[in-house]
Amino acid sequence: MKKTIIDAHNVSKTYNEKMIPVKALQDVHLHIEEGEFVALVGPSGSGKSTLLNMIGGLDEPSSGTVFVDGVEITKLPENKLIDFRLENIGFVFQSFNLIPVLTSKENIGFVLQLQKVPKKDREKRVLELLQEVGLAEKINSRPGELSGGQQQRVAVARALASKPKIILADEPTANLDSKSAANLLDIMAKLNKEEKITFLFSTHDQRVIEKARRVITLVDGKVDSDIVQTPT
Amino acid sequence: MFLKLAWLNIWRNKRRTLITIASVFFAVLLAITFRSVTDGVYENMIHNVVSYSSGYLQIHKKGYWDEQSIDNSFEANEQLNQRLLSNPKVTQLMPRLETFALSSFGDKTKGVLVLGIDPASEKMVNQLDEKVIEGGYFQSENDNAVLVGSGLAEQLNVKVNDTLILIGQGYHASSAAGKFNIIGILKLGSPELNGNVIYMPLRTAQNLHGAENRLTSLSIMLSKTSDLEGSKNAVESTIDTDAYEVMTWKQMMPEMDQFIEADSAGHYIIIIVLYIIISFGLFGTLLMMTFERNREFGILIAIGMKKRLLAFVVLLESIMISLIGCFMGILGGILLVRLFTEYPIQFSGSLQEVYEEYGFEPIIYFSGHPRIFINQTLIVLVLAILLALYPGYKVIRLRPVEAINS
Ligand SMILES: Nc1ncnc2c1ncn2[C@@H]1O[C@H](COP(=O)(O)OP(=O)(O)OP(=O)(O)O)[C@@H](O)[C@H]1O
Ligand SMILES: [Mg+2]
Repeated sequence: MKKTIIDAHNVSKTYNEKMIPVKALQDVHLHIEEGEFVALVGPSGSGKSTLLNMIGGLDEPSSGTVFVDGVEITKLPENKLIDFRLENIGFVFQSFNLIPVLTSKENIGFVLQLQKVPKKDREKRVLELLQEVGLAEKINSRPGELSGGQQQRVAVARALASKPKIILADEPTANLDSKSAANLLDIMAKLNKEEKITFLFSTHDQRVIEKARRVITLVDGKVDSDIVQTPT
Repeated sequence: MFLKLAWLNIWRNKRRTLITIASVFFAVLLAITFRSVTDGVYENMIHNVVSYSSGYLQIHKKGYWDEQSIDNSFEANEQLNQRLLSNPKVTQLMPRLETFALSSFGDKTKGVLVLGIDPASEKMVNQLDEKVIEGGYFQSENDNAVLVGSGLAEQLNVKVNDTLILIGQGYHASSAAGKFNIIGILKLGSPELNGNVIYMPLRTAQNLHGAENRLTSLSIMLSKTSDLEGSKNAVESTIDTDAYEVMTWKQMMPEMDQFIEADSAGHYIIIIVLYIIISFGLFGTLLMMTFERNREFGILIAIGMKKRLLAFVVLLESIMISLIGCFMGILGGILLVRLFTEYPIQFSGSLQEVYEEYGFEPIIYFSGHPRIFINQTLIVLVLAILLALYPGYKVIRLRPVEAINS
């Protein structure tokens, strides 16, 4: 039997913007098993980012609980949560993911340094990771010297660095042309297959949706449909 | 390694770093310049006043100050002079024999202060020769001649080349009386002195009082920025304190000391305002820096960096930048003060006249006291570090989601 890696129960989130409550999520249930490759879709404002933030422990739900790999992260105090993120969750955001003053190598190595990986192992792992995303030759480039697609690939490599169980990506291809987007998805799919890393990513892009093996649709903060499909 | 991250942030983000360094630099420069000018005004005033009067320090025979009589004089001692001059802070010595006498010309009589001076050293220290408005200055150290303050000259109704009679008491109750040729009239800054004083060469005064080779005081001139109490202690350690007493100008002229204390209190308000302005400038820069990097901070926390560690790195960055800014500020300050010492700013117009009236050079004098550079730089550094706590506080309070979406 497969192991549940993400388990969200009755998750609701209400923002109180200027006294008018906005129900971003309403009673969302979500089960994702280890090794899944899931797209989160839905119209703008449907709550995709909010849900990803809840799962990643970047924000707290108004009610409900979230388990990641069996740990109830909604109960963890802040410092424990940060450590939990470091060890278990990789993030890729829409854009400007990288620390501008650091090179690709340093950006990726940073996570390893936070994990106190010795320098020698670090260098080896950084190179491996960059090879996996096909950017070994950009090891000493800074984000400003990379294209948007390349930056996102470095961001994926960084998300991978800590050997997390899941990678959460909020519209990772939104700022990319279709070729770079396809390339990024292929890399993610390969990592999912080869390293058994669970991916949960939100997107608006039809071609990206087609690459997913499961598509969860949110509408008005509720799960509207949950479909398993064969990726193209 | 976090030191390295801080360093990279500084080094690779040149624009931001330059702006911050510049604001620290100008803060230090401003604080140093302000302090240098305000202290410089006092230092210059003190220097001018003591060069006419007491000197910075004075050596007397023990007990002289409480009973200022020629009987409490002491023998001039060339060895002592050499020992004093071997202290690099000591710039000049002014031996004096100071007494009171009755002066008379025609039917006018007046009590006067008779200052026996070394014409050469007074000329060097306080340019006494330049205060002569009629006649001339002493030619040698035993001229049988006197210089008379212009106020006194008016009261006695004397002119250059008149002969003045002085009667007083000499050493060990001998009588002192003589006739002296008035070779010049002096106009001195202090009206009180101007109406009372007669200068004569030291030798002449010693002869008049039957006090061969004796002095009532030995005034010591120091460089403007030397530490008064420290110098006093240094002098005391070179002499026999059972036989001599050493006094500072503050002890001899407590009114002037009090005046300066009271006057400089006003500057504290100005300097506090200055520090507030500096703080706002620095704070603005830090605020801009923090705001600019909000997203970066959010991402660092999202990927697993502890807030406290991030806050520490940010603080470290500010400290490094502040140190660089302070270092440059202190260099800039030294150069600026040097520059204005070499090429002083001249007063003009009525201010110039007032200054010259009182015998001061009409320039803005910048103090180069090391204390100013050290204190002001430390104050700005402490301010900068205190203000840098704010970005750290922002990091601790940061909500990663909001930061990343900003
Ligand atoms: N910090 C916030 N304060 C107030 N309201 C918020 C906040 N963040 C999100 N919302 C609201 O919550 C709802 C869900 O937002 P969310 O960003 O999760 O949508 P989304 O599906 O990611 O949209 P998009 O596709 O445009 O990224 C929206 O109505 C949004 O306006
Ligand atoms: Mg979104």
